[in-house]
Amino acid sequence: MATRRDFLQSAALVGTLMAQKLSSIPKRPLGKSGLEVSILGVGGFHVGSARSLEEATSIVQGALDAGLNFFDNAWEYHDGKSEEWLGAALGSRRNEAVLMTKVCTHGRDKKVAMQMLEQSLRRLRTDHLDVWQIHEVVYDNDPELIFRTGGAAEALLEAKQQGKVRLIGFTGHKDPAIHLKMLSHGFPFDTVQMPLNPFDATFRSFQHLVLPEARKQGISVLGMKSLGGSGEMIVQGGITVKEALHYAMSLPVATTISGMDSMEVLKQNLQIVAQFEKLSGAQMAAIEKRCQGEAGDGHLELFKTTVKYDGKVGRQQHEYPTAEELPV
Amino acid sequence: MASIPQRQFGNSGTSISILGLGGHHLGDAADVKTAHEIVHRAIDGGVTFFDNCWEYHRGKSEVWLGSALQGRRDKVFLMTKVCTHGRDQDLAMRMLEESLNRLQTDHLDLWQIHGVAFDNDAALFIRPNGAAEALTKAKQQGKVRFVGFTGHKDPKIHLSFLNCGFPFDSVQMPLNPFDATFRSFQKQVVPEAQKRGMAILGMKPLQGAGIAIQKGVFTAEELLRYAMSLPVTTCITGMEKPDIVEQNLRIAQNFTPLSDAEMEALGERTRQYADGRFEPYKVSLKYDNPEARLAHDFPIDTGQKEVKEMLREVENTGKPFPSDK
Repeated sequence: MATRRDFLQSAALVGTLMAQKLSSIPKRPLGKSGLEVSILGVGGFHVGSARSLEEATSIVQGALDAGLNFFDNAWEYHDGKSEEWLGAALGSRRNEAVLMTKVCTHGRDKKVAMQMLEQSLRRLRTDHLDVWQIHEVVYDNDPELIFRTGGAAEALLEAKQQGKVRLIGFTGHKDPAIHLKMLSHGFPFDTVQMPLNPFDATFRSFQHLVLPEARKQGISVLGMKSLGGSGEMIVQGGITVKEALHYAMSLPVATTISGMDSMEVLKQNLQIVAQFEKLSGAQMAAIEKRCQGEAGDGHLELFKTTVKYDGKVGRQQHEYPTAEELPV
Repeated sequence: MASIPQRQFGNSGTSISILGLGGHHLGDAADVKTAHEIVHRAIDGGVTFFDNCWEYHRGKSEVWLGSALQGRRDKVFLMTKVCTHGRDQDLAMRMLEESLNRLQTDHLDLWQIHGVAFDNDAALFIRPNGAAEALTKAKQQGKVRFVGFTGHKDPKIHLSFLNCGFPFDSVQMPLNPFDATFRSFQKQVVPEAQKRGMAILGMKPLQGAGIAIQKGVFTAEELLRYAMSLPVTTCITGMEKPDIVEQNLRIAQNFTPLSDAEMEALGERTRQYADGRFEPYKVSLKYDNPEARLAHDFPIDTGQKEVKEMLREVENTGKPFPSDK
């Protein structure tokens, strides 16, 4: 069990590292908004996985100090705790952050979406979001439900008109075909989030199928699951964290969102970002080739091949059995 | 002896009953006596197609079917499946010998690759020394008459098998009204198999466990008639109790095909569930066999019934098929 002093000590340590590296974390433009985001983003689910609010605050403040400014979240992460902790941790520094959260209608209508927006704003202690995305588009009929009359797509537009959100988008981890269906509506998305990693290059590939289409439409891409969701690619897949993050950040994305639930992980990732140099095509191909054998059946991308990463609220809305009722 | 309509198995000249008896549920019967009763009653009622698989209930399904068929082997068209899941031909040939022993016969009418479920399964099947070579060898040795493959996961994976260049005689897939509107084998795979003159074996007419019947969306009769009205050679369904056999025999013996309009009306009823909620075999690992997951390095769930059976098998209980209770 870590003590308060451990946190403060490691916070101080990271602080020193950050003071040196502040200017060295590259930023990239987020769409045509004028906003710039750090190439590494702080994943919101893991903010709520920290051992205490105090630890979460150290992580968030440490990230800001180091020059990370993109903060991810979602209405349903840890039943609201992730948003509450991030709101509290940002405190008076809200304006230093490019703040995103996601709405979890999972097929329900615009009214539900607007209610969730108000809840998210309250929990995050702010009057506006920089990015608001539809969360977890993972079921085959989700695009149909989102774009129906009175569906969640209308809420995105309304919130933007009301000035409550600046940019709108969607996210999902399941299938490139579902992302492409979302992108086929000519809807003015500013952002789209997707799993991007060297294993994805060989298996049901968002990189090959969705990324080019998003770029064609001028939509900013947010990468996620760079390590497999829970580090599966590191533990079993034979690549290092540094290789995986450098690979993901070398793709044409605005940022790579990664979960950091402790100061140790934050420190590790900051070092990796500080060492970042864009990989060449040949270097990326070499990493992909090494991963190919393990990639072909998706056993290291369980978010694509199992229900393990599908959230409770989405499952309820689609009347799927709960995680407890389904094996792995 | 009552009769069930029969259809020709591909272009072979052999015909089989449009209702087939599923091997997995046979191992779910209360005991071996009940299993025998189910098999005998099905044969007397006109069923000639019997499904099975090397990995069902760790061999129990094959053993029970084998003993039930004593003296009746020549009345049936017998299928079992091989469970290499990407592994090599030697393993496939060993599994064939085990299946023949358990089924107490010297030949199978049909031997199929079981449970193709992973995107790279076709590549693993057709590679040098892969299971494809075992299918060819077994046919040459006269141990099997026809060969095919089966899976319940994704039409794309079936298409990769159809396009891998191997001369399959048959293909098995889930066919029911829910499939018509969600990741559809009926729309994507059936036409390709027809083009190749293959036997088409439908399965999961009740979606594996009849959830839609329990929820009142369909009746068993509607679902079975739908499945048998498709351009299939047979419709395989599990019957673990004698009264289910009687119900299904009655439906099959009196079968007349549904009209196109009736088929469409049944399909229409599934439109609002086009997210796969009633087809768990497509969207979850619930129907994937642990054998396949192990071969592919996927995690297995120690709470799953099949995994419990697997674990108990290595305990010395003194019984061939220890109960999971």
